[in-house]
Amino acid sequence: MKVVVLIIAVLLILALLAIMARNRLVRANISVDEAFAQIEVQLKRRSDLIPNLVETVKGYASHESSTFEAVVAARAKATTATTVADVAAADGQLTQALRGLLAVTENYPDLKASSNFLALQEELSTTENKVSFARQFYNDNVRTLNSAIKTFPSSLFVKSAGVSARPFYEVDDPQDRKAPQVKF
Amino acid sequence: MDFRKLQSANRLKSSELLFGMGLLVGVVIWALMTYFGKTGIGVVPFAVGIALLSVWGSYWASDKIVLTMTGAKIITEADNKQLYDLVTEVCVAAGLPVPKIAIVEDNAPNAFATGRNQDHAVIAFTSGILRVMDREELQGVTAHEMAHVANRDTLVSAIAATTAGALALLSDFMLRMMIFGGGNRRNNNSNDQNPLALIASLIVLILAPLAALLLRLAISRKREALADVTAVAFTRNPTGLRRALEVLAADNTVVHQKSTAVAHIWIESPLDNSKTSQLFSTHPPLATRIATLRAMEGSA
Repeated sequence: MKVVVLIIAVLLILALLAIMARNRLVRANISVDEAFAQIEVQLKRRSDLIPNLVETVKGYASHESSTFEAVVAARAKATTATTVADVAAADGQLTQALRGLLAVTENYPDLKASSNFLALQEELSTTENKVSFARQFYNDNVRTLNSAIKTFPSSLFVKSAGVSARPFYEVDDPQDRKAPQVKF
Repeated sequence: MDFRKLQSANRLKSSELLFGMGLLVGVVIWALMTYFGKTGIGVVPFAVGIALLSVWGSYWASDKIVLTMTGAKIITEADNKQLYDLVTEVCVAAGLPVPKIAIVEDNAPNAFATGRNQDHAVIAFTSGILRVMDREELQGVTAHEMAHVANRDTLVSAIAATTAGALALLSDFMLRMMIFGGGNRRNNNSNDQNPLALIASLIVLILAPLAALLLRLAISRKREALADVTAVAFTRNPTGLRRALEVLAADNTVVHQKSTAVAHIWIESPLDNSKTSQLFSTHPPLATRIATLRAMEGSA
């Protein structure tokens, strides 16, 4: 009698551990999805900011057309990307183009002093921070998921939970990982 | 130093301390049984009940109570755009919902966070801290406060306060019962009691409240150290918080309310000064916190 109870207890504990390990994988997978959605939200915010920024800068520096075109082109590309690698690549190009635009503004003291531009600067710097924090949060979640997939006992349930290792969000140029410098 | 390792080290340490409090409760109950026999146990539910009632009400409504006690005013995005941006940035990094943001009119630079969970969190800054710190430093402070929210430190300190409160009450009850000659000891089992055990239990009952207080403060200090490390995990920028703490260290002003009830929630304790011993402070010394952050800067 005692032995039977003991065996049942052990089996119950094992079942509980198995459920916990599997749930860990499922939860980690959902977190990665959410974190990626957050990157897209922040990229969208940045993208919405660009027309306003370009218009403001154009008012003072209308002949820098190549810089504007680069920003607009990079923005268009960013809106069509869907996979992690594509989004990251488009994100990298847009970051680069924005950096170029901000470098141009350095030559126009009137522009830098305009109240419209000052408000945009705060908006742009917070958005850049949010984009980079969203990337970092995504990568942390991928790290958690990928290590759960590789470590025992959760590694046993990879198939049944229907999860797989996810790619890190990597921006090509190492300098791109840094937000463009917005100085106050 | 790797922030992930430091994070788990601090977590482990504070769980050990909480476990220590549990042990202390066990020892006090043993002392009760030894001194008063089985009936001594009867007062335990009373002590725990009173402690629970007094602490958990303030834990549950911590966001509202603290706002009233400190006179903090909730602000919106339009009131202070940059502060709102800073907080939302850190929330993106932490994966937390945006808390209520409040400002305390006070010249002393300081900040705190409270609330029973992440959905009821409040983060408050004094008007002084907003004046003296730049964006990077404020981001470090915000990250430290959001780290308290993420680590559920309102809950941890409520548990520590409840245990310490229950132990203080228990020891108080017992000492009163001894003075008034109560207890079943003399009637039932005075013959088979070991006198050494009786003395030991008496000492335990007298010292338990002090031990509980010291454990509670040690937990508070560990949670502060953990919040510093978690802040770095959010921003990956130890420099901002380190510079912010240096600003606090250089500043001599102190927030006006010196209420002990809310001392532990500020980023820089309004009570601790060089005269109080390290053992009795709610926060680790600023110099130690700055040194730890500096070590992280080296390896970032």
